[in-house]
Amino acid sequence: MSGALSLTAYDLWKTYGDEAVVQGISFTLAPGEIVGLLGPNGAGKTTTVGMLFGTVIPTKGFVQFGPWQLPGQGQLARAQMGIVTQEDNLDPDFTVFDNLTHFAHHYRITGAAARQRAGELLALVNLEHRADAQVDDLSGGMKRRLVLARALLNEPKIVFLDEPTTGLDPDARQDFWRLVQHLKANGCGILLTTHYMDEAQRLCDRLLLLQAGKVIDEGTPADLVARVIGREVAEVEGVGAERLKALADRHGAWYRAFGGGHLVTLPDGEPEAVWSQIEAYHPSRLLRRPANLEDVFLRLTGSVLE
Amino acid sequence: MKLITATPWGVYSVWWRHFQVYRSTWLVNCLPPISEPIVYLLAFGYGLTPLIGDVEYLGQMIPYSRFLAPGMIAIGVLFQSFFEGAYSSFIRLNFQKTWQALLTAPLSYTDVFLGDWFWAATKGSIAGTLTGLVAVIANLYDLPSLVLSLPLIVLGSLLFGAFGLLVAGAVNKVDQVNVPIFLVIIPMFTLCGTYFPRDTLPPLLARFASFLPLASLVDLLRWPLGLPPWWPLLLLWLIGWMVVMARLAALRIYPRLFS
Repeated sequence: MSGALSLTAYDLWKTYGDEAVVQGISFTLAPGEIVGLLGPNGAGKTTTVGMLFGTVIPTKGFVQFGPWQLPGQGQLARAQMGIVTQEDNLDPDFTVFDNLTHFAHHYRITGAAARQRAGELLALVNLEHRADAQVDDLSGGMKRRLVLARALLNEPKIVFLDEPTTGLDPDARQDFWRLVQHLKANGCGILLTTHYMDEAQRLCDRLLLLQAGKVIDEGTPADLVARVIGREVAEVEGVGAERLKALADRHGAWYRAFGGGHLVTLPDGEPEAVWSQIEAYHPSRLLRRPANLEDVFLRLTGSVLE
Repeated sequence: MKLITATPWGVYSVWWRHFQVYRSTWLVNCLPPISEPIVYLLAFGYGLTPLIGDVEYLGQMIPYSRFLAPGMIAIGVLFQSFFEGAYSSFIRLNFQKTWQALLTAPLSYTDVFLGDWFWAATKGSIAGTLTGLVAVIANLYDLPSLVLSLPLIVLGSLLFGAFGLLVAGAVNKVDQVNVPIFLVIIPMFTLCGTYFPRDTLPPLLARFASFLPLASLVDLLRWPLGLPPWWPLLLLWLIGWMVVMARLAALRIYPRLFS
C-alpha cells in the first residue's frame, strides 16, 4: 500500500477492574504531523499507545488507521506502522546488523533486500560503524537509535515513539530528535509520548495533555502556553503568599506555590506593572522568564511533570 | 482471546528467528542430544545389560539395550522440547521481551505462539532423531524403523513443547520452572517405562505411570519390538494431551502480552 495514511482514535477507554486508566481519548494524526501525548508517569500514555497499535484491547472505542480498524486488524495495520516501545526489546542473540536483517524477515524483506535496507538504516541512525557489535555493547542512546531503525524497516506511514529518550544524555536526545524531524520531513506521521516538556515543545506540532487518563487540553505548544499562561512568568522567593495573591487578584494574574517560592504570571497586557511591583517587594530571588509547557501543566493540573 | 489469525509466513518467520539463534551456535546445541544418549546407552546399556540380561516385554525376551534405546529417544524428545518451551520461552517472554518485540511487527499472537511452539517441537525432534541415529549406529534400532518413527517423535515433541510453554506462561519466576520438573518431568522420566518395563512396578504406581503421556510415547516408539493391541488409543491419548496442553499454554501466555 502506498500513499499517506491517517490514524484516528475514537473514544478510547481502558479500564482495569474499577480503575479507568484511559477515559475517552479521541484524536487524529495526519501524515507528516507530530502529535505528542504529554503527561506525568501514570497518565495513561503507554496504555493509549498500546491501543493504537493493538497490544492493549480497548474497553470501549476503536482506532481507524487507513482501511484497517484496530484492535481487530492490528496485524494488517502493523505492516504500515513503526513502533518504538518504551522497553528495550532488541534481540541480544544477534549483532546490530542481524537485529535488522532478521526483523526484516517478519516483513517479508529477505536476502539482499534485507541487507541493503539494514545498511541504509544503520547509516541513517549513524550506527554503521557498529554493525558487527553485540547489542549489549551499545550505549543507551545507540540502542534507542537501533530500535528506531528497526521500526523503520518497512518504511512505515506512521511511527509510535513511546518515551523514546527517557534516560538518554542531552547529546543522545539531540541525535534522536534529529531523526524524528527527518521522518516528519519525509511525510511520516509520528505519535510521541513524553514527559519531557522541552521535547514536546521542540518536536510536536500538536499536543494532547493527559492527566489520569483524560485529555485535559490540547493545541499547539505555542497556543497552549499563550492561552493558558501568557508570554512570561516570574519565579519569586522570599515574598509572602498573601501579598502575591493580592497582586495577582488586582491584575488578573495567576500565581501558585512552586518549589521554595511562587510562580506569578505577568499578564500580557501589563507585564511591567506586575513585574515592578514584585521587584518592590524585594524578593530574595527573582527570575523573569518565558512561560513554558511546565507552567501550563502546573496551572491545569496543579502538579508538575515528572 | 478473540484475535486468532495466523499466516504461514508469520509462523515460519518466528520459527526462523529461533532457528537463526540455534544455527549461530549449532555445534554447542547439537552436543547435548548426541552426548546424552551416548552416555546413557554406555552407562545403562553396557553397565546394566550384563546384570539384567534380557527383559520381558509384551511376552517376549529382549536384550536390555534394545529395550532401552526407544526409551532414550523418548527422553531426548521430552527434555529438549520441554526445556525449550519452558526455560527458553520464559526468557524470551519475560527477560528478552522477544515476544513483545515480535508483536510490533505484522505478526499475530497466534503466529508468535505457533512459531515458539513449533520451534520447541523442532528441538525435541532434532534430539529424538539424533538419539535414534546413535541407537542405529549402536545397532539397537533399525534405520527404517527410525524413519517410520519420525511422526511419533514429532508428536511427542509437540506435546512436551506445549507443556513447556504452559509452564512458561504459568510461572512468575524462572526458578518456579523447577516445580513441574520435579513433580512431572522427573517422575515421567524415571517411571514411564524408559529404563524398565512398567510391569515391575506395584500395580497402582504402574497405572499412574501409564497415565502419564511419556509412557504412551515410549510404548509407541517400541513398535519394532511389538505393540499392545490398544495402541491406537495410545496415539489418541498423546494427541489429546497435545491439544489440551497447547490450548492451556496459549490461554496462559496471552494475558502476559495483551491487556
